[in-house]
Amino acid sequence: MKKILILLLLLLPLAATAQGELYKRYASRPDMTVAQVSGFRLGDSVRVDVVLMVADNEAAWQQMKKEFKLKGQEGVESWLGDPRQPAQHVKWTGAPVVRAIASHSRRTLAFYRLDTEAQYDALIDYQLEKMNKEKK
Amino acid sequence: MMNEERFEKLWQEAEAEGHGGRLAKGYSAWRQRQRRIGAVAAVTAVLIITAVPLLTPHQSMDYEHVYCNRTGSTDAQWADLAAEMLIEI
Repeated sequence: MKKILILLLLLLPLAATAQGELYKRYASRPDMTVAQVSGFRLGDSVRVDVVLMVADNEAAWQQMKKEFKLKGQEGVESWLGDPRQPAQHVKWTGAPVVRAIASHSRRTLAFYRLDTEAQYDALIDYQLEKMNKEKK
Repeated sequence: MMNEERFEKLWQEAEAEGHGGRLAKGYSAWRQRQRRIGAVAAVTAVLIITAVPLLTPHQSMDYEHVYCNRTGSTDAQWADLAAEMLIEI
């Protein structure tokens, strides 16, 4: 019993940065490169988990477009999605969401997991700050 | 510190003096205490190992960990892509 308890305690640090459901769902796909950036820093004390999916070819991208109901052909699309079904658009109510960003030119989808209002605000602040820097 | 050799010596002395039973009882209690100390030390070590990474600030790192289903890109490249996607809009 003690050994099991010790083993569980040893595994605790690993659990803090576990693979997310979204990553696990898509990581086995042969036609896309999938990465999860855990603890991506948005601010001094705010971090989020990000899942990135890059289609390996045009056919894979077309398939992703269908799955995530992307309508455009170029530029970038962004929406708030249900963490379990990111294709499903939701409104911010304070419940966990994913900020989804799709870039047609990069054939890439990015999902930023937002569990708290602090993360939601930090993401917007991060975007504004980076965009201002870019302009300068 | 008690060890097997020392215990054997004590045991022989105690047997000779007719105190074998008392020594056996004492030894059993000592072993139990040692086991308890070992368990507490192990749990303490695990708690320290667990707590230190969680409590250590990672302010200098832009990410904590990267998982990827392919090789070819570095963790930093993925973190850069996560940052770039946010300003694509």
